[in-house]
Amino acid sequence: MTSFAMELPNRRLVSADLLKLRKRRGLVLVTALLTIGVVVIANAVSETMHLINSTKHGPAGGVTMLGHFGWAIAALASVAAVIVGALAGSGDSDAGVYRELVVTGRSRLSLFLSRIPAALVFVLPFVAVAYALEAGASVVFAGFHPAPSIYLLTVTGLWAMLSAVVYFLLAYGLASVTGSRAYSIGIVLAFRLAVTPLVAGIASLGVVRELLPGVALDNLTPTALGMAARQGPTIGMSVAATAAVLIVWAAAALVVGGWRDTSRDA
Amino acid sequence: MTTSPNNLVLETEGLTKRFGHRTVVDDVRLAVPRGVAFGYLGPNGAGKTTLIRTLLGLTSASAGEMRLLGLPVPARRAEALARVGAIVEEPRFHGHLTGRENLEIVAAARGRAAYELIDSSLEEVGLTVRADDRVKTYSLGMRQRLGIARCLIADPELLILDEPMNGLDPAGIQEFRGFVRSFVGRGRTIVLSSHLLDEVEKTCDYIAIVDQGRVVVQGAISELRNGGKPTVLIETDELSRARVLVAAHPAVELVREDRTGLRATLRDPAAVPDVNRSLVEADVNVLRLEPLQPSLEQRFLEVTTRLENAA
Repeated sequence: MTSFAMELPNRRLVSADLLKLRKRRGLVLVTALLTIGVVVIANAVSETMHLINSTKHGPAGGVTMLGHFGWAIAALASVAAVIVGALAGSGDSDAGVYRELVVTGRSRLSLFLSRIPAALVFVLPFVAVAYALEAGASVVFAGFHPAPSIYLLTVTGLWAMLSAVVYFLLAYGLASVTGSRAYSIGIVLAFRLAVTPLVAGIASLGVVRELLPGVALDNLTPTALGMAARQGPTIGMSVAATAAVLIVWAAAALVVGGWRDTSRDA
Repeated sequence: MTTSPNNLVLETEGLTKRFGHRTVVDDVRLAVPRGVAFGYLGPNGAGKTTLIRTLLGLTSASAGEMRLLGLPVPARRAEALARVGAIVEEPRFHGHLTGRENLEIVAAARGRAAYELIDSSLEEVGLTVRADDRVKTYSLGMRQRLGIARCLIADPELLILDEPMNGLDPAGIQEFRGFVRSFVGRGRTIVLSSHLLDEVEKTCDYIAIVDQGRVVVQGAISELRNGGKPTVLIETDELSRARVLVAAHPAVELVREDRTGLRATLRDPAAVPDVNRSLVEADVNVLRLEPLQPSLEQRFLEVTTRLENAA
């Protein structure tokens, strides 16, 4: 095998990394609860309340409810993605298995890269199923509310997926740097849930706020969902600036994580 | 060592590893011939594990050159390690996966051929029955065996094992010795590090003795054993006075006292009668005076700093 080929993660390596994740029952359970579980429970409760008292509680579907639940899916899918990313980035080190892989002669870069598709293959189906259920519920339970269009359903789904992918990459890169799952989850969630809304709310910071990935992702919220899918203030950004911010954050996380993973003592 | 250079599976020249100002591996020159069990013997903290980690690319060398299976490392590390199996410190696994799944993960990193050797490797270490149990339910001995199986899926020409006898019960050690002889019998090579002198002597053909990061002696065990200095055991009813007399003899290099009497290391084996005479002439009753068979233990103590501590 040439040295170039050794750098690239192959299908077997990705499958092996996927195996490490999907065999963790706790991780599967938490990921399922944060994605599918939340959608099922939220819709069940919402629709039940509507059926019990339709004058006080509106239907569980429609565009507005898609906005509320879409925001919840994006937020909780990000949390699940952070947990998976941190585990994927530090799992081999935590278990002491990293050196066992390095002594096979396989390049460290290849080992680093193979974990990314494996973790995404693990977490994104949960997000996709959760969103598919929500999309279905938003149409079926629309009642007297306007049902969302196929276009809106599609872009909302993509936005939720993108949110999960961005926070996964941040957690993965950070976990590769720190080698600690707990620290990485804590830091990224604090950044996602506390620092970003706080900084975004300080108007005097002006354009600096646009450098946050959370603000960029918020800027990509489908307009048709209105304020139902927004948490903080609206900060207008061009599509190019939004894309640039997200790409730079993701690339920085991967470059720093990859550098640390390939250069540290195993 | 008389082996030609192209028959060496592991060579180092001037290999040095420093952590800050502390030199852990110090100008090590090693030459491990093909088809032997080679013991890297030294007290705890002598730099054995660091040398292995450096050889395997787990940490970088500060200076020096290395060749594994004739290939320079780190330049051609991937090629070299493709036919090397190694356990560094204790073997570690994903506890939530089964033994077989842990091997599959390493096989994925090694390549297609490694998958085909999973079953036979598990069988060779006697883990076929427990292969589908989670590793967190394994005993330490079973983990050691699974670690060996993980090495074997590489179909290795060279096995590098760091303190492999740690945690093994007597039956496990016996079994391990059998494995080493069988592996070497197939023309393969094992390098094992250990601080257990007795085990190395029983298991290996060649050794290097390391102390404070430096290889102080290396070669075939039989040659090293014979290269040790002559020692006599002296039993007397006046140990304290005898010790003073023997220590004062010009042919005696070192005297140690143990439960059986005095052990005197001589500079000249022909001086035994003269040492006896000096005791008898001083009215010390010599109950026994017996030249001891040279042992690796004695040689080990001679060349490591433990000698100074023992003196």
